[in-house]
Amino acid sequence: MARDHLIRVSDLSVTYCADEGMPIRAVDGISLEISPQEIVGILGESGCGKSTLAGALLRLLPPGAKSEGGILFRGLELMNLPEAELRALRGREIALIPQDPALSLNPVITAGVLIGEVLRAHLPLSAAERRQRVKELLCEVGFDRPEEIYSAYPHQLSGGQRQRIAIAQAMACRPGLLVADEPTGKLDATLQSEIIELLSKIRQQHGTAILIISHDPAILAGFSDRIAVMYAGRIVEVGSSAEIFGRPLHPYTQALMRIASSMITSAGVISRFPAIAGESPDPGCIAEGCRFEPRCSERMDVCSQRYPQTFLPEPSRLVNCFKYGE
Amino acid sequence: MGSNLATNLPANLSNSPGGAFRGDLSGVNLLRVIGLSKQYVRGGLWKKRVQVAAVTSAHFEIARGQTLALVGVSGSGKSTVARCVARIESPDAGQILVQGTDIARLSSRELLPFRSGIQMVFQDAVMSMNPCFSALEAIEEPLRIQRKAIGNRQERRDRVGRLMIEVGLSPDWMDRPISNFSGGQRQRLALARALALRPRLLVLDEALTGLDVSTQAQIANLLLDLQAAHQLTYLLISHDLALVARMANVIGVMAGGRIVETGPAEQIVSNPMHAATKQLLASAKTTAAKFAAITGAPS
Ligand SMILES: Nc1ncnc2c1ncn2[C@@H]1O[C@H](COP(=O)(O)OP(=O)(O)O)[C@@H](O)[C@H]1O
Ligand code: SF4
Ligand SMILES: [Mg+2]
Repeated sequence: MARDHLIRVSDLSVTYCADEGMPIRAVDGISLEISPQEIVGILGESGCGKSTLAGALLRLLPPGAKSEGGILFRGLELMNLPEAELRALRGREIALIPQDPALSLNPVITAGVLIGEVLRAHLPLSAAERRQRVKELLCEVGFDRPEEIYSAYPHQLSGGQRQRIAIAQAMACRPGLLVADEPTGKLDATLQSEIIELLSKIRQQHGTAILIISHDPAILAGFSDRIAVMYAGRIVEVGSSAEIFGRPLHPYTQALMRIASSMITSAGVISRFPAIAGESPDPGCIAEGCRFEPRCSERMDVCSQRYPQTFLPEPSRLVNCFKYGE
Repeated sequence: MGSNLATNLPANLSNSPGGAFRGDLSGVNLLRVIGLSKQYVRGGLWKKRVQVAAVTSAHFEIARGQTLALVGVSGSGKSTVARCVARIESPDAGQILVQGTDIARLSSRELLPFRSGIQMVFQDAVMSMNPCFSALEAIEEPLRIQRKAIGNRQERRDRVGRLMIEVGLSPDWMDRPISNFSGGQRQRLALARALALRPRLLVLDEALTGLDVSTQAQIANLLLDLQAAHQLTYLLISHDLALVARMANVIGVMAGGRIVETGPAEQIVSNPMHAATKQLLASAKTTAAKFAAITGAPS
């Protein structure tokens, strides 16, 4: 474990404090490292805190969100960094592809100008150089006719094209870490694999480390090097992609893999899907024990009494479940 | 890992290109669509107005209690077919026979008695409603529109409570605002609302899209259970062929506004004939193969 990490998150928690109601601890004591050039997948269902984690890494959380813990990026502690320095870092060294890029694209600015803005914020280029760079970026993300796309407005673009624009924006300054929040979420199956292929190519060509967030194991298969499974604000299992897919340990991961498999393999015969009954707990009122306990088919008495600590059943594998230790 | 897309089933029945497959094997068609066509006018103000054919001469039929899935890439015309069948939209040509009656050209007033028989659920349907609505109000709204919200307060609450239980929601949540419900719960609400009128046909337009895989599995199972319990007929619209192949008796593949291939789900996945079907299957198979390779399951 003496590798040089690109980013090292330690015991990170994020609490949303609303005016009314209980504070919501959306991310609860998460630790995770990402090495240079590594692709790490965050797998978990909606509401488990994935986007909050992504926002916390870039120190981009809405006002009213309080974060604690450490985020060490290339030796720099981001939690103590002044906003001006964070601004210089965001987009240049760590870039985010937001969950819904349509929302962050300005409707009255053309795609080319939008990407150019990122360059202008960070790099001393002339207008002509910038224009040239933007066109190269457009080619890089797979547009055959960069000229046309350059002067297109967001509403003239399809969902897949907008996602490519968001990727070009994020890659404009060649960041060391790309955080991609459900980059294929709203797309058709065919477009989904195209976007994943593009991200693979980016890592290969530029050595960009990628933190990819998804609720769907199938998206991460064959793409991530490592996977961290999140449930109700916590990481419950970490392992290499081969381990997580080939031999998942946590009952939640196991169930998720069965579901994902049933959804992509079908012989055309009607049959029910394997499913997990119930829902994840309300983040406003979390019980003491294992958070998956109410839905777990293998629960034991101890499971509702306290939270299972992190066990290391094998080197480089972490799991929070009493099946693997007391 | 169980079954897979690539099983080589003997193709003793061939799929029919052009969508002339007869889904009705028992002789009772709930829905029969003949030559459905719909054009839209694009452009206006600054741009030249052009007619765009969204759907051209679509034929299909669904037997009572069965599911026909229409699959295709986005823009292939699936949703236009769905909206015409639910008569949210008027087709330009063709017939929509519901238990023998053509509803394609009925006025909104003539449609009223048919409305309760056909209900539509789309992606995040409840989000388009007033977020202050309680679950009770959301579920009761179609009954009110149909002037069927009869009974005293307790009778109405009992009825909504039963509907909530049927879709797996706790009746204790009846008075909560719909904005407090999660994505999966909102789709359950949408189903309770659709079921309130005791329909025979549900048009489900991407009703599973945008949900987590674990929620998709739950809602898909709920749909299968409700269908069995009420002999519901489904027109299922989706871009996800692999997913609907486990839910549909018959699959129709759409491309460029036409149904280019129709056949039993089993044959569509094992012996696709049209290029569009092959392409949809290819992307599903790539994902399945990647998954199988890494999980170590046989592909
Ligand atoms: N701006 C916010 N204010 C208050 N609560 C929030 C905010 N954003 C997210 N949450 C809550 O935090 C939890 C985690 O949300 P999120 O990080 O978006 O999860 P995911 O991305 O995994 O769906 C949820 O319960 C959500 O409702
Ligand atoms: S700790 Fe207990 S309840 Fe939690 S996942 Fe493991 S067996 Fe299930
Ligand atoms: Mg999210």
